[in-house]
Formats: sequence, C-alpha cells, structure tokens
Amino acid sequence: MKILTPMRALGSLSVLGAVLLVALILGLTAGPSGLGVGEILSVLGDRDATGPAADIVLRVRLPRVLLGALVGACLAVSGVLFQAMLRNPLADPYVLGVSGGAALGGILVLSLGSAIGLGYEAVPPAAFAGCLITTAVLYAIAGANARVSTTSLLLTGVVFNAFASAAIVFLASMAGLTEGASIFLWLIGSLSSIRTEVTGWVAMFLVLGLGSTFPLARSLNLSALGGESAEQLGVDIDRQRRVVLIASSLMVGAAVSVAGMIGFVGLIIPHLLRLILGPDHRLLIPASAFGGAAFLVVCDAIARTILDGRELPVGAITALAGGPLFLWLLRRYHQRVFS
Amino acid sequence: MNGSARRLLGIALMAACWTGVSAGSDPPAPSAPVAQGLRVVSMNPSLTRMLIALDAQQVLVGVDEYSADHESAVAALPRVGGLFNPSLEAVVALEPDLVVVVPSVQQRDFRARLRELGVEVMELASITFDQLLTSMQTLGDRIGRSQAARERVAAIRSTWVDVAREASLQPRRSAVLIVQRDPLYVVGGESYLNAMLDAAGLDNVAAEYQEAYPRVSLEWLIAAGPQVIIDSSADPVNAVEHWSRWVSIPAVAEGRVVAVPQGLVTLPGPYLDRSLLTMVAAIRSADRASGTGGGAKLQ
Repeated sequence: MKILTPMRALGSLSVLGAVLLVALILGLTAGPSGLGVGEILSVLGDRDATGPAADIVLRVRLPRVLLGALVGACLAVSGVLFQAMLRNPLADPYVLGVSGGAALGGILVLSLGSAIGLGYEAVPPAAFAGCLITTAVLYAIAGANARVSTTSLLLTGVVFNAFASAAIVFLASMAGLTEGASIFLWLIGSLSSIRTEVTGWVAMFLVLGLGSTFPLARSLNLSALGGESAEQLGVDIDRQRRVVLIASSLMVGAAVSVAGMIGFVGLIIPHLLRLILGPDHRLLIPASAFGGAAFLVVCDAIARTILDGRELPVGAITALAGGPLFLWLLRRYHQRVFS
Repeated sequence: MNGSARRLLGIALMAACWTGVSAGSDPPAPSAPVAQGLRVVSMNPSLTRMLIALDAQQVLVGVDEYSADHESAVAALPRVGGLFNPSLEAVVALEPDLVVVVPSVQQRDFRARLRELGVEVMELASITFDQLLTSMQTLGDRIGRSQAARERVAAIRSTWVDVAREASLQPRRSAVLIVQRDPLYVVGGESYLNAMLDAAGLDNVAAEYQEAYPRVSLEWLIAAGPQVIIDSSADPVNAVEHWSRWVSIPAVAEGRVVAVPQGLVTLPGPYLDRSLLTMVAAIRSADRASGTGGGAKLQ
C-alpha cells in the first residue's frame, strides 16, 4: 500500500486539478455552433457581452459545464463513500435506493405535472423531495435497532429501488407519449435541461457533503478492516455510517434531481482512482471530486458535439465509456489479486 | 444513445404531435356507401381522425386508447391499447376485417401476430406530407370512401398551392417549429410539418436533419438564429416568456415567437389545410405584434 504523504497528496490533487481544468476548457470550447477560441475568450472577458456568441458561451455552455462538474463530483464522492461504508466494491451512488426515490419524485411530476399545471421546472424540487423522503425512510428502517446495519441498508435499498422501478414503469405506462419521451431521457440522465439557478444549490450540497465526510476519511480507512475491528480501534461506526448516509444521500439527491440518473460515474471513478492512487480516503475523497467532475464534463462535451447539433443524453456516453472501462478494471483487479 | 433508442424517441415525438384538439369535425357528405359490414380497428389517432373525417366512423369497432380519450365520436368504442402496449387479444376479440396501423417499430411484432392470425393489417405511414395524403386516399379506397378521400386530398393540395403562392410574394424567413422544449425537440426535414413551413414561406432551420423530429441542443438553436419561432409544446409556461431570455435569437428580438397549442398545427390528420391556415394566421398575428415587441399566442 502506498503511504500518503502531504507532498504526494498535493501532487496528486494538482495533477487532477489540471485534468479538471483541461476538461473545463474542453467543455467551454466544444459545441455545435463552431465558435472559435478567440471569440470564446473575448466573450469570457466581457461580462456585458451580448449576441449569439455571448448567449452560447455565458448562458448555455458555462452553466452547463459548471453543473456537469458539480454533478460529476457529487456522484463520484458519493460512490467512494458508499463503497467504503458498505465495504462493497459494487456499491454506487444509486445502490441504497435514494436515487430511486429521487427518480420517482421527478417522474411523478414529469408524468402527471402537466395535468396540474406543473412544468419541467418543478421536476428538480420534486426529485429532491423524493430523495429526502427515501433517506428518512432508509434511516428509520435500517437504524430501527439503534445501530445502522450495512446489511439492512443494502437490503432496504435493493427493495426500495425495485419498488421505485415498478412505480416508474407504472407511471411511464400511464403517461402520454410526450411525457414518455421525457421520462425515458430523464432515466438515462442528461444535462441538457439544466437551469442556471440550480448550480449554486448543487454546489452547496457538494461542499456540505465534502465538509462533513472528509474528516471521517481516516475512520473510513479503518472501516476497511471490518466494523468490529474498526470499533476496537476507536472508530464510532454508527456515527460514521449516519454521517455518510445522510451526506451522500443529499449529494446524490442534488445530482439526480437536476440531471437524472447518470450512471457509472459513481462506480468507475472511485475504482479508477483507487487503482491509481491507492485506497486512502484522505486522498480518494477529494480526488474523486476532481475526477468525477472532469469525467462528466468530458462526457457531456462528447454528448453535445458527436451528433452535430443534436443532443445525446450524457448518461448514454458515461455508460458507453464506463461499461468497457469497468470490465477492464475488473480484469486488471483479478490479474493483480491472482498473480 | 443507441439507434433503436433514437428511433423510439423519434417515433414518440412524432406521436406527440398527434395530441391536442381536433382541427374540425364536419365530415363531408357521404359520396358512396361505406363498405358493407366492414369491421375496422384503428390503432392510431391520426388514422382514427381520417376515418371520422371520411364519415366512416361506423366501420370502427375498436380504437387505441389515445383516440378513445380525445375523439368524442369514438369514445364509447372498445379500447385496444396504445402504441407501446397494444392488446392482441382485445383486437382479435373484436373480430375485425381490417386493422389500420402506422408502421411503427413498437408494433412490429403485433402486426406480424395479427397477420399470422389471418387478420388484414393495413400499414399507413404518416410522417411526410405525401405519405399522409397517400395514406388518406388508400384508406378511403379500402373502406369505400374513395370520393370523399379524393375531395379531402384535393382540398389540402389546393390550400397548399394558395398559401404557397401568397407566401411567394413575401421574402422568405427562417423558422423553427418547437415540438417539445425540455428536452428540446423540433420539426426536422422529413416531417410533413417541414412541408407546411415551406408552403408558408418559411425555411426550416432544422431541415438539415433528415429525421422527422430531431432532438437538438439549445446552443444549436441560438446559433441557427431563426427569424420565427413557432412553439407548439405542451409546456404550461408561456412561450413568449420562456424564449424571452434568448434575445440574441432574431425571432425573440423581433417579437416573432408564436405560441400554438399542442396539436392545433402539429396534427398529422385529415385537416392539414386548416392546420396550415392556422399557422399562417398565427405568424401574421406575430408580425402585427412584432411592432410592439411582443409575440403571439393562439388559443
């Protein structure tokens, strides 16, 4: 195991920060309208700029790139935290059913909203409400015996995801064709419907999530030894699980409520970075924030440009890139373990 | 997104255009008796409306869910499912002589099973302008309403020519027809609505896309800079208000954002002539309002 030194942490995070910067520049310069770099720089340097180039760069691309980075960071950090808390390498941000609750809330509005005068702008609040309700239910059920059991959490999550999936299928079957198309896209995950107003909101949950869980990084490292061993070493496992559950759920809820169910970011990025940087959560948590942000921004740039003006849901790109990458990671892991 | 998913979305959006109000309900006087004893099931609202327009609703013994919900003339008929969930059993139980469908991917197996069971299935495409007119004539011929269908087709073609002639006296403008705002779907080159825009003297900025209803990015729309936006989405937020923040789009800057209730124009049915006239009236209304910086909303 690689020893984490301040210099190594700083170096790793600097490299990832540079990767994120490159991704952000790529996100700002990529698009179907063919704006030149000079035009983009001129618009970025003039806050009062008007015209199509200003609209495209300042009001379409910039908010989208920023939100993509925030959503990617939320998903990747949640993935790391869930994998550590559950001690399960297959855990992802959606494993505990929080995403199912958020999706159910959002899709309720997508399918029935127009009948009661609610437009697309009501989807994120409804999805986030779904996330909060699910988190509360999870917490109440899994923590019923005063101890937060990971097995109970996992089982509750699996059952709740199945329930939410069935409810979503039911709603989609009842929905009109227009609503059906929106539901389909929302389930894949997309950043095309973002509103600039939600960027600060997602940023707030990311900061809260990072702020509340980063201090637990050392105890998460010890948790890898098993709950009982970690407790003997002084880790308050119950408190750790409660904080991780609530912080991660809020980050996942914020991400899903604005971008739908973007897959693979929260699964792939933690594994990739764990392979490269080692399993120390003091580095892995911030590194995942940078890595998830960069990955989603690049995937979204591809989704926006690959079809020349037409949009692909970014969830399709993350899945297309993530699937093979995950298989490669698994293969490499097995080679390392068994060699 | 893979090809089949995109096709699914395209068809879903195409079908989304079939929603909304009827463009009229005064069928022509019967020109010939409808085929005696014919039992027809319609699996598509567009085809149901054609049958009603040809005064042949009496041959219908069952309809899809959407038709039953939106067409009062067939509301009492048995329902046989929708585009995604057609009920083979419900259709067969009605012992139809003919089932009329659109050639959608979703109902491919359903059509095959019906044919295996010996039921006549008539596939009538309704994406392009010519397909729609041909479908109406083919349907009219099959049910014994050839003359009524000919008259309806002639009326549509005549209106098309009149409107195009009048539009040719004015400079052409670029336009976009919004089917859905979020996610953003517009009318592409293959749709009959592209022909409608063309007849009205408008150059569809999305005509470069061959599919009927492409999903596009907002960035593409801003860069395309249409001079007229016709918004036929179902979003409850006012179209003029929604688009007002994109002042760099000429249509917004010049107040030519036209809100049309979903289905009033985007209705691939038997009254394309009325749809075209409605759209032209809406654009004129926007032209008049553009002097005051506002858009137009058609009720």
